Amino acid sequence: MKTLAPMLVERLFTPFLDAVDGTLCLPASATAVDILAQAGAHRLRFPLVLDPNASLREHTGAATYAPTSCRFGPFCDNILGINWRLPGGRVARVGERVVKTTTGYDWLRFLLHSGRRFGEPVDYVLRLRPDCGFTMEARFEAELPALRSCVRRLLHGGWMHWWDAVDFITEGSTAFVRVSVHCPPNEAQIFEERLTQVATETGARLVLLRGVPPAFDGLPDVVLKTTPDRAIGLAGTLSSDADRCLAMCYNGVIHLYLSEGDDRAERAHALMQPHIGELHALGGDWHSRWLPATPPSLTESKWLETLERTIHAS
Amino acid sequence: MPPLPLWSQLKQLLPRGRVLDSPAQLAGYAADALGYKSYLPDAVVIPADAEELIGFMKGARRLALPVILRGAGTSLSGGPVAAQGGVIVHTSGLKRIREINVEGFWCEVECGVALNDLDAALKPHGVFYPPDPSSGPVCTLGGNVASNAGGAHCFRYGVTSNYVLGVEVVLLDGNVQRFGGPAGGRGPWREDWKRFMIGSEGTLGAFTRFWLRLLPLPEKVWTLRATYPDLRSIETAIHALVAHSSYPAAIEMLDPRGVAMVETSQMAVGLPKGSFMLLLEIDGPAALVDARVGPVAELLRHAGSSDVVLSDQDAIRQKLWKARKAAGGLLGQLSPDYVVQDAVIPKSALADVLQLVYDEADAAGIRAVNVFHAGDGNLHPNFLFDSRVPGELEKVELISERLMRRVIEVGGTLSGEHGIGNDKSAYMPLVFGPDSMRLQWAVPAAFNPSHQLNPLKVFQNRRFAT
Repeated sequence: MKTLAPMLVERLFTPFLDAVDGTLCLPASATAVDILAQAGAHRLRFPLVLDPNASLREHTGAATYAPTSCRFGPFCDNILGINWRLPGGRVARVGERVVKTTTGYDWLRFLLHSGRRFGEPVDYVLRLRPDCGFTMEARFEAELPALRSCVRRLLHGGWMHWWDAVDFITEGSTAFVRVSVHCPPNEAQIFEERLTQVATETGARLVLLRGVPPAFDGLPDVVLKTTPDRAIGLAGTLSSDADRCLAMCYNGVIHLYLSEGDDRAERAHALMQPHIGELHALGGDWHSRWLPATPPSLTESKWLETLERTIHAS
Repeated sequence: MPPLPLWSQLKQLLPRGRVLDSPAQLAGYAADALGYKSYLPDAVVIPADAEELIGFMKGARRLALPVILRGAGTSLSGGPVAAQGGVIVHTSGLKRIREINVEGFWCEVECGVALNDLDAALKPHGVFYPPDPSSGPVCTLGGNVASNAGGAHCFRYGVTSNYVLGVEVVLLDGNVQRFGGPAGGRGPWREDWKRFMIGSEGTLGAFTRFWLRLLPLPEKVWTLRATYPDLRSIETAIHALVAHSSYPAAIEMLDPRGVAMVETSQMAVGLPKGSFMLLLEIDGPAALVDARVGPVAELLRHAGSSDVVLSDQDAIRQKLWKARKAAGGLLGQLSPDYVVQDAVIPKSALADVLQLVYDEADAAGIRAVNVFHAGDGNLHPNFLFDSRVPGELEKVELISERLMRRVIEVGGTLSGEHGIGNDKSAYMPLVFGPDSMRLQWAVPAAFNPSHQLNPLKVFQNRRFAT
């Protein structure tokens, strides 16, 4: 097979909205408000929003998952491509605008949450989802064992695929389970019946908020990733030192929200210190947007330096 | 003292495993499922277990031969073949399912586990691992991770990279590294290195085991099959389905040439002549899918089908799938050779690109059949040819090049789930500009700078210099 001539210019993404594919390219500085302005007209939505006023760049800098990752996966499964500014100022295309690719090494997922060592995002290509027109929030209130039972019933079975989010949340001394539902209005009754059934089976009190906008929890101060079966227990342990603690029950991700103050970085570090060993042993991780990334080990430094050297080679 | 013969050197590295070097044995490893390009390896080793694979990799650098990892050899991209000679490492000995953790929604498996064996082990626990390439009965998870495999149900469930929580890999320096684990994060590393490993096609290291994410089994499935008289009407149906609130799990398409192939075979199911066939599945709790199936069937009719068949009964569902599943097998019976492409395109370009396939193939006198994952825009045009006929392969390669140029022009990509291998490596310059190409080359520079692992794959000029 003949060798094709190399391309002399990058095939950078230019802003677009593809309503058929459900894909949208817009600047990394765009917010949920900007996304809604473009996607809403086509009855499409980008469900992974933590703070409607924060930019996409701030989202991926602060978190790898959002509560709706229960249904749609992490940010890296919902951002298909990036225009990426390299440290020298040149911009490279990373990823695609189509929903599947196995063309070359996966720099997209590597870069998305890698901090600034390799540069920064300029534009994102988002995967949008159908806006079904109706959002509902369910809140289960009970003692911890009953809440655990609720989560088990919500996740272990065929219904799990259809909850936008199943979160265990603590606020001060209060704990509850929050379920987000997004469906066509004519299916709301079916979802309500299932939620009511779970409440009846577990003895939990169910509060339903019909037709409410999606809940926005804000950008977390600390994020940690463990296994789903450990998430509620760990959230309970950490909750005493956080204003608010949100455990995404299927993904095993915990978002901690700390009270404001100049010592937030120190508090974040102190809070996590006892748990780091176990997290790492499980292949989990943690980070805080108030703290610099963990320094790489010697082995990792060698790989990182090779990557940098090759990227900068002319 | 003269160096030991290769067989003896390899046997020292694998005292319990097997070393194959007779021509008859090696012939079985000369090609993957693509078939028409074959390369005889110098030897094949079959480690008895993970420990032996690690031992072999630690000694591999001293061999100064290319090393090619291979699962079941069902790749469709010319991936696990000895394009530059060398030793093929067949991972069939690493087939333990080490743990199934239902509460944590994860499992730990060795790289040689067959996909359907994992499915069978998971089913009694009420969970499943969604990627479902059609080679499921034999393909291994190692091959799936190496090529980021997909399958029919990826429209909603996603591909392999969406489900890999962690990988254990032996690098060329002999060190065993674990990237991620049951929790699916970075582990103690600063960066998420497993992202490079998934889809790396055996060019960065040898996988030993994986931690995979699981989902609860869907409670109920409806399968719907519809036929359409023309490309525009089936395209209308596909566009409506991908935006529908029922979120189909699979949206598959068979073109009239595929329909004709099935209907003139023993696998005929009575599809109308000249029709386009659409097959889809919706799944979920019974209360939900039973409410959804009526509107979905109506959507299919509204797009122009007068022939919608649907069922929630397993036996009938299997019959509805029959034409789709038979198509792959029939291709191999109809022609000595075939090339299957794997491009992904924006779905708005579906009719445009399919027409190009027909026009180019017809003009060259090459038979083309399209059976593919329409929901993802993941085309699988199959070009049937006979490599013994002078000029036929060249015609197919020319069609493929024109197809790939058009795919890139409309915003698509070369491969969605098969990988690049050496079948599509020539087209990589169409995708990557100067800076993104440097990013690509930086990855093997970090892990496999001499290209000893699977040379001449992914990029044409990845040649191992001994």
